[in-house]
Amino acid sequence: MSLLEENPQKVAKCDIVVAIPTFNESETIARTTECAARGLLDHFGDLSGVIVNCDNHSADGTKEAFFSSRTEIPRIYISTPPGVHGKGNNLRNLYELVRRLEPKAVVVVEADISNMGPHWIKKLAEPVLKGMGYVCPLYVRHKYEATLTSSIVYPMTRCLYGRRVRQPNAGDFAFKGELVETFLNCPIWTDSVKNYGIDTWMTTVALSTRIPLSQAFIGAPKIHRVKDPYAHLALLFRQIVATIFDLMIHYADFWPQVKWSKPTALSGMEAQEVETPLPVEVNTARLHDRFVQGFESFGHVWQAVFDQTVYHKLVEIRGLGLQHFSLPSQTWARILFDAAVAYRSMGEGERIDLLDALLPLYLGKVLTLVKKTERMSLQQAEEYIENECTIFEENKPHLIKRWE
Amino acid sequence: MPKILVVDDEEHIRLLYSEELKEAGYEVITAENGFKLLERIEEEKPDLVVLDIKMVDYNGLDLLQDIRNRFYDLPVILSTAYDTFKEDMKSIAADFYVVKSFDLTELKHKIAMALETRLP
Repeated sequence: MSLLEENPQKVAKCDIVVAIPTFNESETIARTTECAARGLLDHFGDLSGVIVNCDNHSADGTKEAFFSSRTEIPRIYISTPPGVHGKGNNLRNLYELVRRLEPKAVVVVEADISNMGPHWIKKLAEPVLKGMGYVCPLYVRHKYEATLTSSIVYPMTRCLYGRRVRQPNAGDFAFKGELVETFLNCPIWTDSVKNYGIDTWMTTVALSTRIPLSQAFIGAPKIHRVKDPYAHLALLFRQIVATIFDLMIHYADFWPQVKWSKPTALSGMEAQEVETPLPVEVNTARLHDRFVQGFESFGHVWQAVFDQTVYHKLVEIRGLGLQHFSLPSQTWARILFDAAVAYRSMGEGERIDLLDALLPLYLGKVLTLVKKTERMSLQQAEEYIENECTIFEENKPHLIKRWE
Repeated sequence: MPKILVVDDEEHIRLLYSEELKEAGYEVITAENGFKLLERIEEEKPDLVVLDIKMVDYNGLDLLQDIRNRFYDLPVILSTAYDTFKEDMKSIAADFYVVKSFDLTELKHKIAMALETRLP
């Protein structure tokens, strides 16, 4: 993929890069750029910083808004060619640029975070400058927020790669500059990775290198543009789960050797007021309907892919109705493990059918999460998720046996 | 024989943990507080630390941060009389936690799990 670049200040080398991936973000890019610049000046004034807008050739004036932002920090604009979209493609361009700029640290923040403060740049970059290889943020989240992370991405990456990274696909992160060589050399570069799978992909690739990871406690929720969670769910789900499964195949020599899991370092814990997450409404009846409808649309796939005990369990769960609905964690772990094994031996078309067949089951898992944690505090709900992860780890021998 | 460092300011806890863990086949060393704890870890190179959260002059959760930053992979099990510490995010940097008890079954189970954790 060719790289379109504008580097008016002719920056050749730098110490820190703050990258902002965009597609049609003319309304938000200037604020985020100015905030990032303030973060660089306030906290890393003795280092040379550059802000990079990694764009998808936006037609709404994103580039102009980026360059018109009020800051003295040098800026570089890079873009994919017209018609080439996806955050993964943006970041691949960034890796190429970073290879040339040779910074010590790279921070990536999304353009539409309305509550980002300059200190977020410090929280993400500082651990890298102090020796960490990769940093994920730890946002304050409502217990029903980011359920795909809580139900699939976190338990699977933790169980497979052995590190407890609670928000591995939060969208924002930091890493040491040299890590781009690993990213550029990873042969798994699928359409899913080029799009919604990129965040999960980066964290997993970083985990596989065994570099030290840190979680940066932000102390605030990530507030960004209001999106309809159902509008892109099918595509988002398909691409993120495909990325996890594709990487399982690629790292099949690594993850079976992992037993249990270890914590990561934690940073950004200096005294601060911790904000409260925004409330999240969930339509439990809709989740239940989608689960039940799954039998009609995907029952044949479930029967073919899962162990018969799992399928019978699903039939039993359907009979419980909404009031008593519960998809047990062990069944959920086996569903994902059996699906990963089946995915490995399938062709492209079959894989898409399988991923789509998992969606109603995931919605059933979300319904279970909502019901189980209904009366729990945020901290109790977190403990519930931690217990879920332990169940995944306990059931890993089943995955390894079936994979072999 | 895996070496375990028990850090606790209560003498009877240090004695109890030492006796029981030695019986379970571990080498045990102890520290009564967090004074020069990192240097002690550097010198003694324990395989695992059991760390009290509330000591008279030391906050175990702050010590945990220091340990994790310097000894990234060293297993640390938090030991506490109350589980309210879980409200402090710092506790997630621990491998496990146990609520103090005279029955050390849970502690021994967590120690075994932490020691058999394997990353390639």
